Amino acid sequence: MDLNSIQAQIDSDLAGVINAAALAELRLKYLGRKGLIAELTGSIPGLPVEQRGVFGKTVNALKSRLMSLLAEKEKNLIHPDKVVNNSLDIGMPGIAQLLGSRHPITQIIDEICLIFNRMGFSVVQGPEVETEYNNFTGLNIPLEHPSRDAFDTFYLKNYSRLLLRSHTSPAQVRVMKQQPPPLAVVVPGRVYRPDAVDASHLFMFHQIEGFLVDENIRFSDLKGILELFARSVFGKKIRMRFRPHFFPFTEPSVEVDISCIMCKGTGCPVCGRKGWLEILGAGMIHPNVFKQVGYDPNLYRGFAFGMGVERIAMLKYGINDIRLFFENDLRFLKQF
Amino acid sequence: MKVTYRWLKDFVDIRLSPVKLADKLTMAGLEVVGLEKKDGDFVLEIEITSNRPDWLSIIGVAREVSAITGAKLKKLKLQSALASACAGGSWPLAVTVANKQDCPFYSARIISNLKVKPSPSWLVKRLEALGCRPVNNVVDITNYYLFELGHPLHAFDLDKLCQKSILVRRAKVDEKIITLDGQTRVLSPETLVIADLQQAIAIAGIMGGQQTEVTDKTCNILLESAVFNPVLIRRAKQKLGISSESAYRFERGVNCQAALQASAAAQELIVKLACGRSAGSRSFGKINILPTVIQLDLVYLNKTLGTDISRHCVKQILSRLGCQVKMKSKNLLTVQAPSFRPDLKLPVDLVEEVARIHGYSEIPQTIPAIKPKREILDQRDIVGNIKNILSGLGLDEAITYSLVDRELLEKSGLVLPADPVEILNPLSKEQAVLRPALLPSLMRVLAHNLDHQQDQISIFEIANVFSGRLKTVCEELRLGIALCGTKSSFTQQGLVRDEITLLHLKGIIETLLARLGFKNLDWSPQPDNKINIIIDQQPIGFMLDINPQVTSAFDIKNRRVFLAQINLDQLFKIIDLKKRFSELPKYPGITRDISFVINENILVQELLRAIEGKGAPLLSQARIVDYYQGKQIPAGSRGLTVSCVYRLAERTLTEEEVAPVHNNICSLLKERFGLTLR
Repeated sequence: MDLNSIQAQIDSDLAGVINAAALAELRLKYLGRKGLIAELTGSIPGLPVEQRGVFGKTVNALKSRLMSLLAEKEKNLIHPDKVVNNSLDIGMPGIAQLLGSRHPITQIIDEICLIFNRMGFSVVQGPEVETEYNNFTGLNIPLEHPSRDAFDTFYLKNYSRLLLRSHTSPAQVRVMKQQPPPLAVVVPGRVYRPDAVDASHLFMFHQIEGFLVDENIRFSDLKGILELFARSVFGKKIRMRFRPHFFPFTEPSVEVDISCIMCKGTGCPVCGRKGWLEILGAGMIHPNVFKQVGYDPNLYRGFAFGMGVERIAMLKYGINDIRLFFENDLRFLKQF
Repeated sequence: MKVTYRWLKDFVDIRLSPVKLADKLTMAGLEVVGLEKKDGDFVLEIEITSNRPDWLSIIGVAREVSAITGAKLKKLKLQSALASACAGGSWPLAVTVANKQDCPFYSARIISNLKVKPSPSWLVKRLEALGCRPVNNVVDITNYYLFELGHPLHAFDLDKLCQKSILVRRAKVDEKIITLDGQTRVLSPETLVIADLQQAIAIAGIMGGQQTEVTDKTCNILLESAVFNPVLIRRAKQKLGISSESAYRFERGVNCQAALQASAAAQELIVKLACGRSAGSRSFGKINILPTVIQLDLVYLNKTLGTDISRHCVKQILSRLGCQVKMKSKNLLTVQAPSFRPDLKLPVDLVEEVARIHGYSEIPQTIPAIKPKREILDQRDIVGNIKNILSGLGLDEAITYSLVDRELLEKSGLVLPADPVEILNPLSKEQAVLRPALLPSLMRVLAHNLDHQQDQISIFEIANVFSGRLKTVCEELRLGIALCGTKSSFTQQGLVRDEITLLHLKGIIETLLARLGFKNLDWSPQPDNKINIIIDQQPIGFMLDINPQVTSAFDIKNRRVFLAQINLDQLFKIIDLKKRFSELPKYPGITRDISFVINENILVQELLRAIEGKGAPLLSQARIVDYYQGKQIPAGSRGLTVSCVYRLAERTLTEEEVAPVHNNICSLLKERFGLTLR
């Protein structure tokens, strides 16, 4: 076919177009799957080899010219019928692949790890079956001491000195025994305590442990980092307080409260009318822990912190029963 | 622990309102969890951390108030000198301590000719404010000083002691005692008792016995004030399931100075209120605890805290807390800890004291320089990626307990390589073992959701499973998938309902593994409706079409359940996350579809392999693009459409080249597989 006559035909066809429907028809005629351009392209394999290149180039030029003409025409057209499409009621349900959901605990862990990642912390994981040494002794928790009450522990039958970790802190001992400072690490994971089950207690839950060790780490750094963290998770407007506390593996130790996110601090059932919510425990790593892992306590200082993931998720999402997390009811999971 | 506002005022001038005081105490580490008005006084309930037994007393809290506010601490006024604890006179009692480690210190006072009667109302009120039931003047006075000074005391009816002897010893096997609460307790040698010549008369430090109880008939008493081994008290308390104010203090540790002081104070008040007469005292065992002396470097203190606290301020805080502080040099303080503060051992302990009283809120906030060591990509990132892919495919993530009941494992019909690891101290049978597999837990999640009228359930979990080795427990990361129900999705024609099958599960696994960069995936059917998932000749997991017996054990009825498990640790060993670009085809390919009806028994894999063999080298890909089973197809057969793409990398193929190859494939299908082409 003569390419010039095709060109002329296109020009006259375009001149006759007065609305979008006609333009669409024209587009189909030339650029459609069975349109003229497709037909020309399809004929290429049937041509003698020496002609193919030239012909192909001409067809391509034709195609691109055609496309720009159509685009231009489209711009110039007024579309009176553009918003009205009689065949579609936009109130009908959309069609899409349905997404599943990642568990709210996973989402909170990822969110928190990401915040610390951005500050330069790396994520490390430790085993859930731990040694008595890593879970207690290495963390300056004497075997016979009331401080162990808080860490009531599941032990394993037939494996002496093995237990289910009652907190994520044993990762401190593991990491520090393997690597020299400086260290900036967060450790998320499952922990276990033989607690009677109710709306706020379970025998399995998740914690995130974090620690920073270097030559000149100070208590003021702990405050700065944890404030940055809490505001990232709970919003810029929260107020915070750092309350002295006791943990065997830190000195000085602190519990961190944020102003209640429900009542903003005036007192409500969620915060037990205190106006404050405890979100994490922290402190400067005890010199005895450094001695246990073989760090020189005169040379290095650091801070460590730990928090309950379920608690943070419950506060953030307004969940009132911890058991919901592990019931895995789809009506619950799909909300996140 | 409870204290009252007025009782505190006996020891320190408080200018703060009870609410303000509660806040100050909380911010100094004595968290006030309750504040209640009662009888014109205020009761503060304080949570005491386990390192501070000295706070388990009015005087201890008052000392803290003094340190916080700067008001001077008033000393306890005693008429009789403490020395009277060792006063002479005739002594009618034989006291023997069997083991000094169990009871390093024991003091006894005898008060005779007293009148046991109800306590005066001021005393009753104070005890009641703290939730302590008044009994009689003698018992109430011992309780009064327990609360005020933090040292537990016990009064025995002296006349009921067999042959006036006291023996501090371990209980005999199955020795019995009726305690003050009327319960008969059976003891064991792990428990320390106070005994006379015949029998145990008190469980040391925990609770007295009924036999020697002080009643309104009592005339002479023995007032005991002792120091017991905290570990023994703690174990006995746990073993016997008794908690008492006394045990609470002994297990946290008491000191012998307080023991003497409380005993002397109680004696004085008993003499006064019960009109008794002091008839001598003895103490046994001496605790010469050398006071702990700590050198505190101010530079170290301020460097640890990030502060600039002055020498004067540090000295003042530590002195108010009861330490003796001397300036050794410009930056060095010599600090002697008081006897009631055994927790002060290291300089850092003093740093905390200073920080606490100075106020954590006064410490600035700084951001340290962090030296990151993060690796580019770790295992957690891959797990995160898997979770994203699976939720993108419509699966919901579940998290189930790692501890399970044996029954769950049994009814899941899973064949386990070995007995699961058992928990020594489960609270219930739901915590009996560490799970060796994820799938039983996922089955339970399916059942729960079916119970709640869900008609499509597709879930996954990524968690550790546990198996016992000789001396260790092995943890392996697994992915479990469970599918059940009907998949509904919209098309332009409306809702399409599709019963979930093994192919849905296969599709999920294929997509996941392809996304993770695995190309050579293979499937190997096994007995019992199991299909192994094979990568590079290695099984890395399996799919299961659960048999109805198992599903009904989970109360899942008329539903088919499909499960898959992938061993992620194994997968991570062979994963290759490097992505490589392969050149886009320069030349167009020619696509020819073949539609035919085929006997169901002919395996698709076999068919495709035959087609690929015949089509090489022009055929670059053959895949199934449509299938159908239904009305127009005879039973036992299915309709298939195979799409063949012919392409060469170096040039454009012509129709003439492709046609004979394609015809060969068609005749192969007809001849070898007996197909009717459509």
